[in-house]
Amino acid sequence: MNERGGAPLLSMRQISKRFGAVEALSGVDFEVRAHEVVALVGDNGAGKSTLARMVSGVLQPDAGIIEIEGQQVSISSPSVAHEMRIATVFQDLALADNLDVTANLFLGHELRENGMLQDGRMEQITRDVLAKLASRIPSVRTPLSALSAGQRQSVAIARTLIGDPRLVVLDEPTAALSAVQTAEVLTHIERLRDLGLGVILISHNMTDVRAVSDRIEVLRHGRNNGSFDASRTSFEEILAAITGATHVEPGLRSVG
Amino acid sequence: MTTTVAGVGVGVRDLVTRNVRQSGIFVAFIAIVALFSVLNSDFLSPGNLTNIVLQYSYVLILATGMLMVIVLGQIDLSVGSVVALTGAVAAEVVIKGHAPWYVGVLSALVVGFLVGCWQGFWVASVGIPGFIVTLAGMLLFRGLTYIVLNNISLSPFNGTYYGIANGFLNGLFGGYGIDTFTVVIFAIAVVGYAVSQWRTRRGRIAYQQVVESMPLFVAKIVVVAAVVMWFGSQLARSRGLPIVLILLAVLIIAYSIVMQKSVFGRHIYAIGGNLNAAQLSGVKVRKVTFWTFVNMGVLASVAGVVFSARTNGAQPGAGNMFELDAIAACFIGGASTTGGVGRVTGAMVGGLIMAVLANGMQLMGVGQAVQQVVKGIVLLLAVAFDIWNRRRAEATR
Repeated sequence: MNERGGAPLLSMRQISKRFGAVEALSGVDFEVRAHEVVALVGDNGAGKSTLARMVSGVLQPDAGIIEIEGQQVSISSPSVAHEMRIATVFQDLALADNLDVTANLFLGHELRENGMLQDGRMEQITRDVLAKLASRIPSVRTPLSALSAGQRQSVAIARTLIGDPRLVVLDEPTAALSAVQTAEVLTHIERLRDLGLGVILISHNMTDVRAVSDRIEVLRHGRNNGSFDASRTSFEEILAAITGATHVEPGLRSVG
Repeated sequence: MTTTVAGVGVGVRDLVTRNVRQSGIFVAFIAIVALFSVLNSDFLSPGNLTNIVLQYSYVLILATGMLMVIVLGQIDLSVGSVVALTGAVAAEVVIKGHAPWYVGVLSALVVGFLVGCWQGFWVASVGIPGFIVTLAGMLLFRGLTYIVLNNISLSPFNGTYYGIANGFLNGLFGGYGIDTFTVVIFAIAVVGYAVSQWRTRRGRIAYQQVVESMPLFVAKIVVVAAVVMWFGSQLARSRGLPIVLILLAVLIIAYSIVMQKSVFGRHIYAIGGNLNAAQLSGVKVRKVTFWTFVNMGVLASVAGVVFSARTNGAQPGAGNMFELDAIAACFIGGASTTGGVGRVTGAMVGGLIMAVLANGMQLMGVGQAVQQVVKGIVLLLAVAFDIWNRRRAEATR
């Protein structure tokens, strides 16, 4: 396992991205280590999702360097990201309602033998993964359309464990969930960390962020605006960084 | 949420309510068959059953490919014209060019493949909706048919080519008044069905899934076996096993496997269910879309061969409105209008409903006009039932 001191799992340096006239990100630095949940917070349009989508291969940066375990990489598509063992739970979930739990877990990465699906093995793995996450899904053959919002979210998170990932990106995993369902999802996130993965958590909800993350990175108007140790920072300090009441120079960043 | 326990038996009522959509079509099909057999004593006669198979085989072949296109969330309006074009090419090659029958078949298949590539390219690579591309194709390929045929009909094929749609396999094992070979083939099919059902059931129990209770399971197999064997013996009493029926059976089994068991089929369902999700998950949407249209083109050419063989010639106006029959078969058979839902077997039953309706009404001397009205209403009711059923399912969620 890659412990502190070695190269970080993911390191992004001086990342910039423009959409036409809009500067979504400019000179952003970001780092994730194994065994670590890093929260990415900021106001709407601060560039959180843009940054996350670069990690998942949906978007490519205009400038900047991305390194995985010290090696410079280019994450050109979601399948490339999958090959690099990066898994993503997208904000809009990216699940197919008409397919069952197993089919959704393996979507795009089906176990195959001569082009044929290996349903038995996939169901077995699905059951193992759901058990690992302590998820309460009635059956691995239930179609997604028959599941509740919370169950769908746990399927989306379970998806990330297929293909032995080392880095998981969660984009607003608790939006639109009830309190009980949110608690369940937060438990899932803690389990991901316990499994030794690096986790990027994007959320609007400060309570959730403070509950599970080790480190909180604030973005404001597409720039870094502070890095905080979750256990030693008050709610107000983070809020101040998000709203821009305080401005933290990149040079002052101190981690762990 | 229902909890699942290993080997739990489920009664008739649960089975019916759990799967209203699927069983709904079968019930409707049986009801229609029963109605016509009462109204007309000839309906279930060996000769007429053989006739139904021969008469509607090409629509069923088209419906197989169309089901895949519809599940993908697309539509293909051009298949009728492609049937005409491929038939015309085969006629040019065999009748005018005096080439052997298989060269005719092969050239038709190649044309179907190229048509599929053409449409697949515009849909998958350029991103034009299938509705527009195939609407253009409908005009384009119809026009090409007229050009290929020089505005006149070509006939007759005769010989082996004619036999593709009009030939029978019989007399191989002899039999007096009933063809033993046909009966044997059907018996093998029934045993195969029973074995595969048994294996599925065993698998479901092993994975702690809900299955029907044992008596119900056996009853289901026995009923299906009885119906199939009766159908087989009727065919055997008439002219034996139609070659088209063998072709159709092979296609249905092969495409059921493709849709339910292959990665390609799984990706078709995923794209139709949630295009965005499929894309983000790394499904190669363009590639799957392209090959689905290529497949449709090839199947349309198979239907073109069967149809031209059946009519023993090629006409510029052949296959007109076939696309609508194929599309109707899919929707009656439970395919969703928004994509992502539908089965090959469902489309086949949907196609058979259309076939039986048309044939039954023909036997009773009902005019074309009324037949169209009835078919239209059946299609509308089937889709309305589907929507009603889905709303109900959402309400109970």
